[in-house]
Amino acid sequence: MEIPYEVTPRRDTGLYNAKLGVWLFLASEVMLFGGLFSGYVFLRMGGQEGVDNPWPWGVSVHKNFVWLGAINTVVLIASSVGVVFAWVALKERNWRKYQICMYFVVACAAVFMCIKTVEYNSKLNHHHGIKLVDNSVMEGVILNQTDHLQFTGEKLSFSLSGALPAVLNDLKGEEFPVFTVAEGPEGVKGAEISSHAAFKAWFAKSRRIATDNLVRERQRFRAELAGGTANPKPVSVVSSVTLSAAKPFAIAANPRKVMAHNATSVNYRDGVKVEGKLVTDDVLFEVHEVDLQLVLPTKQQGALVWEVLNDDEGAKKQFFDAQHRKYQEIKAYFDKHGGVIPESQLRGRYLNVQYVHVAADGEGHGKEDKHAQVHSSESNPTAGGGEHEGHHGPSRQIAVPRDKIKFMGNHGPRYGTYYAIYFTMTALHGLHVIGGALVLLFFAVFGKKLYLKNPEHLANRVEVGGLFWHFVDLIWIFLFPIMYLL
Amino acid sequence: MADAPHDLSKHKKSYAAVGIALLVFTVVTVTIGLHPWFDLGVPGPDAGDFVLGLLVATIKASLVALIFMHLNHEKGLIYKMLVFTFFFASGLMILTLFADFDPIVEQFDTFKTTRGWLTEKP
Repeated sequence: MEIPYEVTPRRDTGLYNAKLGVWLFLASEVMLFGGLFSGYVFLRMGGQEGVDNPWPWGVSVHKNFVWLGAINTVVLIASSVGVVFAWVALKERNWRKYQICMYFVVACAAVFMCIKTVEYNSKLNHHHGIKLVDNSVMEGVILNQTDHLQFTGEKLSFSLSGALPAVLNDLKGEEFPVFTVAEGPEGVKGAEISSHAAFKAWFAKSRRIATDNLVRERQRFRAELAGGTANPKPVSVVSSVTLSAAKPFAIAANPRKVMAHNATSVNYRDGVKVEGKLVTDDVLFEVHEVDLQLVLPTKQQGALVWEVLNDDEGAKKQFFDAQHRKYQEIKAYFDKHGGVIPESQLRGRYLNVQYVHVAADGEGHGKEDKHAQVHSSESNPTAGGGEHEGHHGPSRQIAVPRDKIKFMGNHGPRYGTYYAIYFTMTALHGLHVIGGALVLLFFAVFGKKLYLKNPEHLANRVEVGGLFWHFVDLIWIFLFPIMYLL
Repeated sequence: MADAPHDLSKHKKSYAAVGIALLVFTVVTVTIGLHPWFDLGVPGPDAGDFVLGLLVATIKASLVALIFMHLNHEKGLIYKMLVFTFFFASGLMILTLFADFDPIVEQFDTFKTTRGWLTEKP
């Protein structure tokens, strides 16, 4: 059956089916992204200070990745030009040129996604932040996974009614500790476990035994009730077990899975208790930036961050020197233009977020001060990233006591509203890039048959595919400045 | 849609020109973000910088929509559809601004904008 208006446009609308369809689809896409852009505006205007982490200034948060974002913009523009030239090639009935253009577009999409991966990887694995209890924030890198609690375990206690204990994922070292079941229900006690696989098998078997015990107990209870016993013994089964290790084992407990810990035990959220000895819960951190936006100006000199930095006079001087210099800039502006400096300026990011370099022992601070002049994060947004550390000499690792930490994490979505909306929008855009590239790749690889039958039909398909691709480019044109630069 | 060969060559020229213009505007966008000369108003980011950055983005987006997406010579039905889209998308943006007039969050808002400055003695 011939579908009408697939190739030739309908006389009254002047449109063929696919074109009308894709514009309707793009209209719905405008509403989808419009909602997210609206969310962006809302979040940017109303970030909950003190509760949320402060909204970063795009340029500084992306550090070296502004350039990757710019390259991605260029890549998408090139791909958009590629699509329109592919369409023109079809109109000129030049199959070879069409294919080259289409493969170029798909290659651009691949480059775009690779760059995105590099950027995501950096945010999730190489950039971290710690908010201290007085709301002063340090940005930098958590070293050697020290956000995990270092603990030496001797005993594990948990319930067989739960899932496989999360602590198994936190065991350090290649050798699995040898456990003996010291306490537990009959039939479970006394077993010896010496590998991860054996633990899983033992756990499944023991859980079945515990469940069977419970079923039997309930049956006994019901039978006694039915038999007329006045006060039947309540249902009671042992479902908790305690495993003791032949020798102490090391764990690095994931803080997101731990509910509480002290010097002798770690309590996991899934109910597992590990007894032993805490090695350390300090977090080793390499500081790149100090953010005092949430600390009152009068309290900044005594902020907790300086105590955590071991009262490093060099770093403190860098911060306040840079702040003073910028204050002079703002003051000069208002001296020239009249008026008083608004409160928001005095509290804003420009004055209160500065790069600091905490020199390794033996490094002179005089030299570092000179660097701070050149590389303060706002005047040179590429400074401060771990990638540039070589320029500033080695950094000292700071041990941050855990009781002084309010929040810590990588620059993932939970770090603050900026990162939440950043990942939502760029990931959704990335999915559009992948989807669009797959459709265009399909037209390039499997389009020959349709081209030979009716080239105009293929040209129409490429036109609507191209319209979607241009829309993806158009979204990025707005995403790039609002997320990376402004 | 242009099918005649001379039309196509005209199209090709305009596509290439728009491509180059978009690249130039990308350089302008990055320069606005990074170069202190484009730092409008008070030093540091403020509303002026935002307007300038978004203005350039809007010019770029218009070029893509008008030339690459052929909206400069599209059929009337598409325009009618886009008028509705524009209306509702603008509504979506404006609706969120009403949050500023919410009396319930006003108190919290005062605290937020001053960060406790008014209530806390230094």
